[in-house]
Amino acid sequence: MQWFDALIQGILLGGMYAQYALGMALMFGVMRIVNVSHGDLVILLSLIGISLASSFGWGPFTVMVALVPLAIALGWLLQKAVLNKVVGDDPLPSLIATFGLSIALQNMMLQIWSANSRSLPGGGIESQSIQIGGIYVGLLPVMVLVFATGLTWGLDLMLKRTRFGRALRAASADVEAASMTGINARAVYASATAIAVGILGFAAVFQSLRSTVAPADGGAQLIYAFEAVIIGGMGSVWGAFIGSMVLGISQAIGFRIDPGFGVLAGHLVFLLVLAVRPQGLFGKV
Amino acid sequence: MTSVPLSPVSHAPALPQVMVRRQTASGRIAMVLFLLAVVALAAMPWWAKTGTIRMVLELCCYIAVAQMWNMLAGYAGLVSVGQQAFMGAAGYALFVLAQTFGVNPFLAIFIALLVPAFLAVPCYMLLHRLDGPYFAIGTWVVAEVFRLVASNMGFLNAGAGMSLNVMKEYSLLERNIAMSLLCALMILLTIGGSYWFLRSRYGLALIAMRDNPVAAASQGVNVPRLRFMIYIAAAVGCGLAGAVYSMAQLRINPPSAFDPMWANVAIFIVMVGGIASIEGVLIGSLIYFIADRWFGQYGASYFVVLGVMTVFVALYARGGIWGAVSKRWDVHWFPIRRHLIYKTEERP
Repeated sequence: MQWFDALIQGILLGGMYAQYALGMALMFGVMRIVNVSHGDLVILLSLIGISLASSFGWGPFTVMVALVPLAIALGWLLQKAVLNKVVGDDPLPSLIATFGLSIALQNMMLQIWSANSRSLPGGGIESQSIQIGGIYVGLLPVMVLVFATGLTWGLDLMLKRTRFGRALRAASADVEAASMTGINARAVYASATAIAVGILGFAAVFQSLRSTVAPADGGAQLIYAFEAVIIGGMGSVWGAFIGSMVLGISQAIGFRIDPGFGVLAGHLVFLLVLAVRPQGLFGKV
Repeated sequence: MTSVPLSPVSHAPALPQVMVRRQTASGRIAMVLFLLAVVALAAMPWWAKTGTIRMVLELCCYIAVAQMWNMLAGYAGLVSVGQQAFMGAAGYALFVLAQTFGVNPFLAIFIALLVPAFLAVPCYMLLHRLDGPYFAIGTWVVAEVFRLVASNMGFLNAGAGMSLNVMKEYSLLERNIAMSLLCALMILLTIGGSYWFLRSRYGLALIAMRDNPVAAASQGVNVPRLRFMIYIAAAVGCGLAGAVYSMAQLRINPPSAFDPMWANVAIFIVMVGGIASIEGVLIGSLIYFIADRWFGQYGASYFVVLGVMTVFVALYARGGIWGAVSKRWDVHWFPIRRHLIYKTEERP
């Protein structure tokens, strides 16, 4: 029963990681870029959300309604101002640019919000629980998982069915051929980053409801997102989702074994996948 | 029956008489200055106070780590943000050898370098499977794994860390002499060693690989092997810097041994100074060192400026300071190019 409980908690934790991993999988799939400031953006949005909630007395869902458009705008701006200048075959410029951005963002947040941990008051939902089969699960983690599944499903559907999704896939397969058929790659890239960061708007609300956030937390979120994407297999939205579940379950079981071992267990499973199945669980060779 | 003698020499057009020039006047001057600097470093106990030696030691560690990062990112195309893994590993190895097993610390520092060398092999085996930008984040995960393992190992005194009490057996002068010699050795190995490597035939292969890995492979460069060699060498170089730094600190614990700050510092130094050049590393290290002394008191806002500068360099000035200088003047301090000079009588 104890291990079954750990499994359920792991899946629920995976729901949180999936919300970070989706955007990263999308950006890498389309532009072959890793945004090192991915985690710092979650923290930035969380802190903005917390400040909004405390100054206007908004509930978590009002904050979400405000935060998601802000995140989309932020993503679009990031692409236009920074990433469009560094996208290309050489991975170095994009890594360095987003790495510098990450240092700047982290320290800017430290300056504005101080190093204290904060969280978003949820008006009671963070402590409610529901009973499923013999175990109690928190209402909030279940909501996180439902949102993560919905976002993954929506993103997958958008990539497969819509005109924009086709343009995105064409640009990721061969940017020059896509340009020849009339696709404006820069515009597609800007929309992809806007969506990737937009998803972080949801993640930010849930992260700050579930636990606390502090300016220095971004690096860990980036690593979890990255591990989920690699475990799942690059270039697949559902792969990133399943990878997040695997990472969540590994960490939850690790925490049961020893509290100091939880995060390490996640890293070790990641390294194990890298050793035995480097293309990821769902990756194509 | 007349047979035409096959003489390929007579059919091939005569090769122009050329000379390969590899050293320049500025290079010779810089070489002398470099050797003088190494001697000055070694002789520090006779001209510097203990505080100065500590500061110079810090600067030497910046130079060493930045140059190792430069070899990885600037030449081998391996962007790492996790070299602190090997710095911490060598630091811990030194502390365990000297403190737990009672090995002479100045001998232990060299034995300790075997640890990053051995650890780098499996790390590279795993990480090289990751594509370009993912390699970088992968190195970060490895550094996190090292830190978490060290925090969980009772043998390393877990999160509390260790102290190097055996250093009490040596007088201040003895320690200063050792630190100065280690500084000189570190610079000689990382800067001098890189220069020697880049001028060797491996260097030629490395530069070909940096410009275009596929084309280099087609010319017979063993790209995977060269990358592997650089990765191991960089792990050992960073290990030396880490061991020397923690020996000077006399204390080690997981957050300081595996401090991601080193990645920030190395990236800032190399990008601002000028990637893929030894000159850039020296310029960048001096800038960072002076900036840290002057503006370090401003804490977070100082790092915001460093971060924004790194973004700016990546967007608009990828060559950094040395890139801008070398575009205008051909005064390389560490020339690694081979210039073909026509002999005077053949000059067209």
